[in-house]
Amino acid sequence: MIYWLLFQKSFLRNMQYRLAHLINNAASAIFGFVFMAVWVGVLTGKESGSPYSIQDMVHYIGTGQVFLWLTVFLTAGLNIQNGVRSGAITMELARPVHYFSYVTVQEAGRIAYNLLFRSIPIALVYVLTVGFYVPENAVSLLYIFISAILAIFISLNLTYLVGISSIWTTEISWAHFVLITLLFGFGGQLVPIDLLPKPIYSIVALTPFPCVLYYPVMMYLEKAAPHVLLIQASWAAALTMISFWVTNIARSKIEIQGG
Amino acid sequence: MITATNLNKHFKVYETKKGMMGSLASLFSAKHTLVKAVDDISFSIGEGEFVGYIGPNGAGKSTTIKMLSGILHPTSGSVAVGGLSPQKNRKDNARRIGIVFGQRTQLWWDLPLRDSFEILKAMYKVNDKDYNSFLKLYDDMLDIGKFIETPVRKLSLGQRMRGDLAAAMIHNPDVLFLDEPTIGLDVVAKTGIRAFLKELNENEKKTVLLTTHDMDDIEQLCRRVIVINHGRIILDGTLEEMRETIGLPSIMEVQYTSKPEVAAAAPLGLERLQWEDSKVIIHYDRSILSAPQLLKEVSSWGEPVDIQMKEPDIEDIIQKIY
Amino acid sequence: MKLYFILISGSLKSRMQYKMNFIFSMVSYGMIMAVDFIMLAAILRRFDDVKGWDLYEVGLLYSISSIAISLYRVIGAEVHDFERYMVNGEFDSLLIRPVSPLFLLLTRNIDLSRIGGAIQGLIIIAISVAGLMKTGKATLLLIAYLPVAVLTGLIICFAVGVLTAALAFWTEKIKDFQTFTLYAPFTAANYPMNIYPGLLKIIFFTVIPVAFMNYVPVMYLLQKGGEWWYLITPAAVAGVFLTFSLIMWHIGIKHYHSTGS
Repeated sequence: MIYWLLFQKSFLRNMQYRLAHLINNAASAIFGFVFMAVWVGVLTGKESGSPYSIQDMVHYIGTGQVFLWLTVFLTAGLNIQNGVRSGAITMELARPVHYFSYVTVQEAGRIAYNLLFRSIPIALVYVLTVGFYVPENAVSLLYIFISAILAIFISLNLTYLVGISSIWTTEISWAHFVLITLLFGFGGQLVPIDLLPKPIYSIVALTPFPCVLYYPVMMYLEKAAPHVLLIQASWAAALTMISFWVTNIARSKIEIQGG
Repeated sequence: MITATNLNKHFKVYETKKGMMGSLASLFSAKHTLVKAVDDISFSIGEGEFVGYIGPNGAGKSTTIKMLSGILHPTSGSVAVGGLSPQKNRKDNARRIGIVFGQRTQLWWDLPLRDSFEILKAMYKVNDKDYNSFLKLYDDMLDIGKFIETPVRKLSLGQRMRGDLAAAMIHNPDVLFLDEPTIGLDVVAKTGIRAFLKELNENEKKTVLLTTHDMDDIEQLCRRVIVINHGRIILDGTLEEMRETIGLPSIMEVQYTSKPEVAAAAPLGLERLQWEDSKVIIHYDRSILSAPQLLKEVSSWGEPVDIQMKEPDIEDIIQKIY
Repeated sequence: MKLYFILISGSLKSRMQYKMNFIFSMVSYGMIMAVDFIMLAAILRRFDDVKGWDLYEVGLLYSISSIAISLYRVIGAEVHDFERYMVNGEFDSLLIRPVSPLFLLLTRNIDLSRIGGAIQGLIIIAISVAGLMKTGKATLLLIAYLPVAVLTGLIICFAVGVLTAALAFWTEKIKDFQTFTLYAPFTAANYPMNIYPGLLKIIFFTVIPVAFMNYVPVMYLLQKGGEWWYLITPAAVAGVFLTFSLIMWHIGIKHYHSTGS
């Protein structure tokens, strides 16, 4: 099947660079250490006033660094903008495959690669140094899996939307930066969003961004109730509909212009 | 003006591996092959000469030019431009040479041509009087004025090359290195560039070293030719001397309605035939056998439907020298 | 210096051809830093301090470090992007000019959109100084020293940037190194050095001396310890480090002369 083939090809393409990526993992782990050190510094002597212990926060940051490579660090705009710039998008939209699936499946291949060659090695670094959380409950594994898949799916949609916007704006690097920032900040990369001041928290909770990092991480740490899966699923459904809708608009715009 | 004495440039070509670790590893690895890009070359070019420097890709032409301009340092031997070593006096040397790389523009892509000139004027510390006479002179010679306010990215290839040539002359250098200045240009543009280079050499007395793949450039511009192959000079002489050695190699492709019958007695000057079914590729020496004569001959072989004249590859010429 | 401005105005003009893009990227770079700092503020609002440094004190460290790296990205845009010159062979075209290649690099492009990050940093400095004034910790000396700290920070950052770029003469690609030499250390320098374990601390005081641009002088200025010469060492460290990186850069060019193709 064509989608499986695209998935594999993308996985193998990334394999060529695994040595460079392994080095990069060390840097990624160091970033994690920096943020862990911040939390240790903040919480030392103040654990009683905090919903999370130092140990919790070390696990939280560590798990976050691992999930970043699955759900946040996607290819900018899924490279849709390159096709727009070169005009190849006209061809790609005309192919007998669904365009949304065509681009997202390739990215999924890269994510599968990231799991093996980035996330797991980074997790190993933490296992050997500061400790890494292991879920205790067998049922949690199922929840974690579903939550991660939904998070990836939501992130793919958001990145897809950034990419396809290039049909109107041609340049998306700034939009990509904004998305990454929102995913970091509202996704709880440094601060679990429930620790944010109430008004900010209530706004953040209404956006899809916590679904990408915060919920799956909390699910992994067995600190989230199963009902967050419903929140994630609703966002996934809503964003998919938006993506399809925008794709149709893009298609008709390109057909009218003839590329 | 330009001398090269027992010039050598050897490169170690390492087995490169991908990624950062790979490049780190290759830093320390001893696995490499030695490539002699320039292998014991000596020549001397006098003031006002116009020399063609030719050879196949990878023969060492660009490497020589890079050593003459101070970009690369010789492995051994030496070069001098106007008595100065480009290695020891890179900046002084830069002031007295002009360089044009046909494949890569030196102009500021998004800016009007005039802005590129003004930036270079500041970089080479050209005074206003010299700059104004430069503008006037090159407007006359290259018709720059027509597109001087146009951003470089909007210029045609021919206009851009004219801009690049003028930019290389802004500090009025005595020596000009031209690396494939006519590459990719159409016939009209090439003719214009050649006329300009001829004028530059004859009226302004500039010394020019030109690398090219185009034999017409050589025929029309160079009084002297240096041919190199695999880093070694295999011919250094006047155009006439080269012609005596290799003649005027030319190619004619003739398409026949059916497979032609070639006369047994081939005319003098006809060197080699290549067959592709009913098409014949004829290599001949134009200094002995003229094209009309050959035409008469080939029409006696059969019924030609299409005839094309082609330029010979530099490789063919090299073979004739050996 | 005059030549610098003539050359730089050329590259600015070409940049300005894409105004919208420029404004958007400037805003987004600023926003990244803002969100980052708001998160830090959220933590410290709830937990008061990190190892004895309150929000406004960390704010000083944070803003000095982020202004330094932002300004480096403004003026050193091409130094930062130097691997392109090695990979595409563009470096040759710098060597045919009667001007030093590093100077030419600096003039080829300045990335004004990165000023967004510096503006953000200035806002945080203003907030922090205002906050410290309320508690009486903001002395005149502290305020007067801030520009010096930013300048030493910029020099250290620039030196690290040049040093990393010089690696490209041997390895061609440097993007992977930059994460280690620039991004990670300058992120770490957003926070006080006393939170880090020994090995990291040693690195930030020696190999990549980011601790000197903000932590060392600010510690003394906020009376958290140290001596008066804590204000002098940063400049000395910056000077030594810059000299070292320029030497490495020249060794790199020498290497290129003999091996480049």
